[in-house]
Formats: sequence, C-alpha cells, structure tokens
Amino acid sequence: MDSIIEKYQLFIDLLPLLMTGLWMTFKVSMFAIIIGSLLGFFLGILRTLNNKIITNIIGLYLHIFRGTPYLVQLYLIYFVLPSFDVEFLKFDSFTAAIVSLSLYTSSYVTEIVTAAINAVPKGQSEGARSVGMSKIQSLYHIVVPQALKLSIPPMSGVYVIIIKSTALLSVIGISELTRQGENAILRLPGNLMFIYFVIALMYFIYCYPVLRFSAWAEKRYGSIGVDPE
Amino acid sequence: MKFSILKTALAVFITAFISTSAFAESTMEKIVKTGKLTIAVQTQGPPVSFVNKAGKRTGFAVELAQMMADDMGVELVVQDYDWKGLIPALISGKADVIAADMTPTAKRHMQIVFTEPVFFSETIAFAKADKGFSSWKDLNKDGISVGATQASSWSDIARKMISNAKLKEYSGGTAQTVQAVVAGRIDAGISDRATIAAFTSSNKDLVVLDGQITKEPLGFAVRPDSLHLLHALNNYKRLIELDGRLGQKIQYWWNSTDWQADHN
Amino acid sequence: MEFLSNYFNFRIVGQYTDVFIEGVLTTLVLAGICLVLSIFFGIFVALMRMSSNPFVWRTAAAYIQIIRSTPLLIQIYLIYYGLPFLIGNFFGEEATAIIALTIHSTPYMAEIIRAGIASIDRGQSEGAMSVGMNKMQNMFYIVLPQALANVVPPMLGQTAVLIKDTSLFSIIAVFELMGAGLRMYSETVIATESYVTTAVCYLLIYMMMLVFSNIVQKQLGGGAWQTAH
Repeated sequence: MDSIIEKYQLFIDLLPLLMTGLWMTFKVSMFAIIIGSLLGFFLGILRTLNNKIITNIIGLYLHIFRGTPYLVQLYLIYFVLPSFDVEFLKFDSFTAAIVSLSLYTSSYVTEIVTAAINAVPKGQSEGARSVGMSKIQSLYHIVVPQALKLSIPPMSGVYVIIIKSTALLSVIGISELTRQGENAILRLPGNLMFIYFVIALMYFIYCYPVLRFSAWAEKRYGSIGVDPE
Repeated sequence: MKFSILKTALAVFITAFISTSAFAESTMEKIVKTGKLTIAVQTQGPPVSFVNKAGKRTGFAVELAQMMADDMGVELVVQDYDWKGLIPALISGKADVIAADMTPTAKRHMQIVFTEPVFFSETIAFAKADKGFSSWKDLNKDGISVGATQASSWSDIARKMISNAKLKEYSGGTAQTVQAVVAGRIDAGISDRATIAAFTSSNKDLVVLDGQITKEPLGFAVRPDSLHLLHALNNYKRLIELDGRLGQKIQYWWNSTDWQADHN
Repeated sequence: MEFLSNYFNFRIVGQYTDVFIEGVLTTLVLAGICLVLSIFFGIFVALMRMSSNPFVWRTAAAYIQIIRSTPLLIQIYLIYYGLPFLIGNFFGEEATAIIALTIHSTPYMAEIIRAGIASIDRGQSEGAMSVGMNKMQNMFYIVLPQALANVVPPMLGQTAVLIKDTSLFSIIAVFELMGAGLRMYSETVIATESYVTTAVCYLLIYMMMLVFSNIVQKQLGGGAWQTAH
C-alpha cells in the first residue's frame, strides 16, 4: 500500500515535466501533420494528372522516403543538409524536426490521396466533364470532396504513425515526451521502469482514441485498400 | 530583347557570386556587424551545458561565453545540438563557436580548429557499488562490458585502454550510459569526473572507480577560416585566467559540485 | 570526379566498405529472424483474436492495441532496461533487440493474417468439415495455407517496415546498418558521407525488396490472386 502511495506521489511530482514533454510532442506532431498533409495532398493530386515526368519524379520521392528509416532521414536533414552552403537549409533542431517529419508524413499522404482519387468512380468526373466543367473544376467540385471523405480512415492511421515517430526526436535533443522522461530518469534512476511505463501510458492515451476513430471511420466511409498503420 | 534579358541575368549572377565569395566577411566581422555571438552547445551535458531546474540554459561553457559576449558588448545566442551535431553545426555556419567539453583529437582537427585548452577532463570509470570493482583496471578483462557515448573520445579511450572488455557505444550520450549501468546492462561506464559527479551525488548506488584513465585537454572550437576569432578567444582565455575569473568558474562548475545546490 | 569529391569524399567511404557490408548483412539477418518469429507468433495471435472466448480474444485485442498505440522506441527501452530487472542480464543486446522487435511486429502480422483468414470463402471450411476434418485440421490444412498465400503482398510491405525498424537497434548499442553509419561518423567526424552512405544502403535493400515483390506477384499471382485485393 505504501509503495502505491509513493508511486502516486512520484507520478504527481513528475507530471509537470512530462506534460511539457507531451505538449511538445503534440505541437511537433500537429505541425508535421498539417504541413505534411498539405504537401502530400498537392503531390497526390499532381500524381493523378497522368503526366509521365511528374508521376515519375513523385514516384522517386516516395521511394526515397519509404525506402529509408525515418531515423536516417532525420540524421540526413539534421546533420547533412546544413553542410550544403545554403542559408535556407541551415535548420535548428526544432525546424529540422518539423521539416523531416513533414516530408515523412507527405510520403504517406501522397499515396493515400492518389488512392482516394482513383477510388472515386470514373463516371463521376466524366459526368462533370460532360456538363461542361473543366478538368480542374471537376477535380475541385466533384472528385476531391468525395476523395477527402475516403481518405479520413487511412489519414488517422498516418497521424498515429507520426505521433509515434516523434519519440525518435529525443535522439536529436528535442525535449518531447521521451526526452523529458529520460531527463526525469537521470534524476531518479531507481524509477527507470516506472517512468518508462508512465511515458508509454501517455503515448497510449494520445494514440488509442485516434486508432479507434480510424477503425470507426473505416466502417463509416469504407476502405480504399491503403492501410498505412 | 532576348539578349538584354541574358545580360541582366548574367549581371545578377556575377553580382551574387562576387558578394558571396570575393567580399566574404570574416566571422569576427560578422559578429561585429550583427552584434551577435552564436555558440553551439550540447543539449544535455551537465555541468558544461544543460537546462537547470528553473528551465534556464546554463553551465560552465555557457557562462564563459556569456562573460566574453558581455565584455565584447554583443548579444550571446545559444543554440543547442546533440553531441554528434556540434561539428556539423559549426562547419555549416549555424554557430560561430562550439562551446563544449570537446577533446581536440587529430581527426577533429581535420574539420575544425580548437582554442588553447580551457580546462581538463579526467577520464574515469563508474559502476554500481555492488559490482565490487575498485579500480578501472579491474575492468580490463574478458567478459566485462563497458559503455560510452558514441562519437566521444571516451569510447576511443575505452577501446585503447580497456581493450579486453566489450565496448558498447550509446548514441544517446552519457545519460543513456548511466541508465545502462543502473539497469545492469553493462558493468561499467566511461565518462569524465565532472560529468559523472552529478549522477553519483544523486544516486548512491553509483561509484567512481579509483584511478584516472587519461587526462585530456578540452577547448572550444571554431571554423578553420575564423582566425581573428580564434586569436580573440585564446587571448581572452589568458586574460580571464590571470584576473582569476576563469579559475572561479572552473572551481564552481568543474572541480566541485557546488553548482548542484543552485541548479539541480 | 574531382568536382564531385569536393562534396563527397569517396576515399574515406571506401575505407568503410567492410563496415557497411557487415552492417547490411547484420540488418538482413536480424530482420529475417524477427520476420520468421513474428509470422509464427502472428498466426497464434490472429487465431486468438478470432476466438469466440471473450477472455482469449480480448487479451489478443489488448496486446494488439497497446503495441499499436505506443512508439517502438519506448517498447525497446522498456524491454532493454526492463529485462535485466525481471530475469537478470540473461539476453545480450542482439537477443534483446530481436525480442523487442518481434513483440512489436507480431500484432501487425497478426492483423494481416487475420484479414487473410477472413478472406477465405466459408465454403472451403464447410467442405473440409464435411470430409470429416476437425476444426484444427481445417484451420491448419485448408484455411491457413490459402490465407497466408493471399496476404503475401501486405506481408512484404510489413517486411519493408520491419527492416527499417531495425535502425532503432543502434540506440541500444547493437551494431547494424545504422550503427555502421554512426561508427563511421564517430571515427571520421564527417557527417555527409556517413549518413548518405547509410541511406543509400537502405535504399539498395528497399530496391531488392521491390524487385523481389514484383517477381512474387508475377510468379505466384494469376489474375485471380490479384483480384482478391
């Protein structure tokens, strides 16, 4: 009983530190999901326009980001890009985190958006064209709104991946949840396991509802056969 | 018409080229012009650079740089990087100076140039008290595992001086090495006395083993072309050495754990 | 070439050829072991998840959700630092890494296998039962072989993820491909060459996977196999 009270007290003591970490995790993941989705949305639409050169370039981009671990991408963007003598590429830790995570997000989103647009029945855009809409108009008014609905379930899956990937940012010294937990462990090394459990629990509380939402959305809006998770 | 566009483009290109190469300003000129001295420090490396309990970045290197910036009358900008990120940050011009406890090794000198030694580190080994080691020499045996920060001079020293033990390199830094020792993953860790003092005073299970493995000079570093700044740093070091201010800071941060009462 | 070597020092990379080859091989071996183990355990977790006994399926579901909602890095830390507390320092770094990644990737495999089992027509089982097979025989001789064949494409995708996940092993001092890059950086202090070479090696593995998966799709899959997905 005493040890439970003791752990509870410890938990209360640690909470402010871990909450600042969770807030950082939330901030970084939000930035990344918004910027990455916009970029991915744009690339995904470009990819459905059937221009061979554009499709190939985007394909190469996707292969590079899907073919290497995020940890390697993080090291490249954090350590290597600055060595090209370009002012624009000299990121500090936080910017490097956002940039790398956004690019990583966009590689998933591009694939989802392409699949979602292709999943909208061809007849829809043909119909739109036949009533005199331009290609852009039919995309904007007819295809994209439906594709967006279809992409909700896999997009929530991507969000979970991104939240979990932020844990790696501790390696470059961003004080997000994992890093703050490590800082706490340095002060209280005897409670290493307990602190890691608390961190895991906090990630769980953040991710689990999103996963449930994803499952619910898939029942509601249907699957397009892309499951990033 | 076409020709004139080409000519304008050429002119723009040449101006851009000249302004970046021929008239490139020295690091010191940049500091004078912008009024900012930018240093790169390690994210978590008490007591050299760390975030204290009040959430403020402080430490031995930060205070030294602050002192110099104050005397120069410029603003100090502190940027923190992971240990492995310090040299790339300096080379790419994100920072003017690396203010860290870095050993001027031959390999590092091929990339950057170090100031005169500002302080010295004693490389030591630490272990859990119940392991029963007394000296670091006890570690140099088959079947013993030691840990050190990846890309640090400690791992080089371990490889050389404790060659019979198995070396495990932790990319997360001293913090992870300490965690691994506490969890029983490795028998001992290699680090320096001042860095480990912070851990042993808060965790009674950890002890520093007898004997100093090596002694190493530690200095700040600049880009090879920042000669003016390098001389300025060297002379400033001698200045504060003789007026006693360097000694005070070293005593407070490096040779004692006085700082812990104020910052931990 | 002279111009290129201003940006990329091939001489130094050449000195590390052996290190990178060893890194690639270790990565492939570790990932291979984890793959076999996680498919093996994945089958059991999938069967548990599909059980009608609420205790059994809820246990499996909880395991799947907990793993999917927490970052791999935290799972690795918990297992790496936690195992010695529980059972003493019995497993080395490599074994611990394999245990951690197997625990992590089993749920993903289980979900893929479960989808595969669900895709098998009920008539198959009814047929098997009618020739006198019991439930177990039906599952292992009739349903599972077809289910596994059906899920080869998503499983290859998951294998690519698994290979990338091994990059986290470097954080707990296991030498593999990422570790090779980190060792090169630690010894030479040149970031660009170290990390770009690492990325290129991962891309080579990824390209091998792509070629392999194309061959599998062409060889094994007729038209009917494709339509199942």
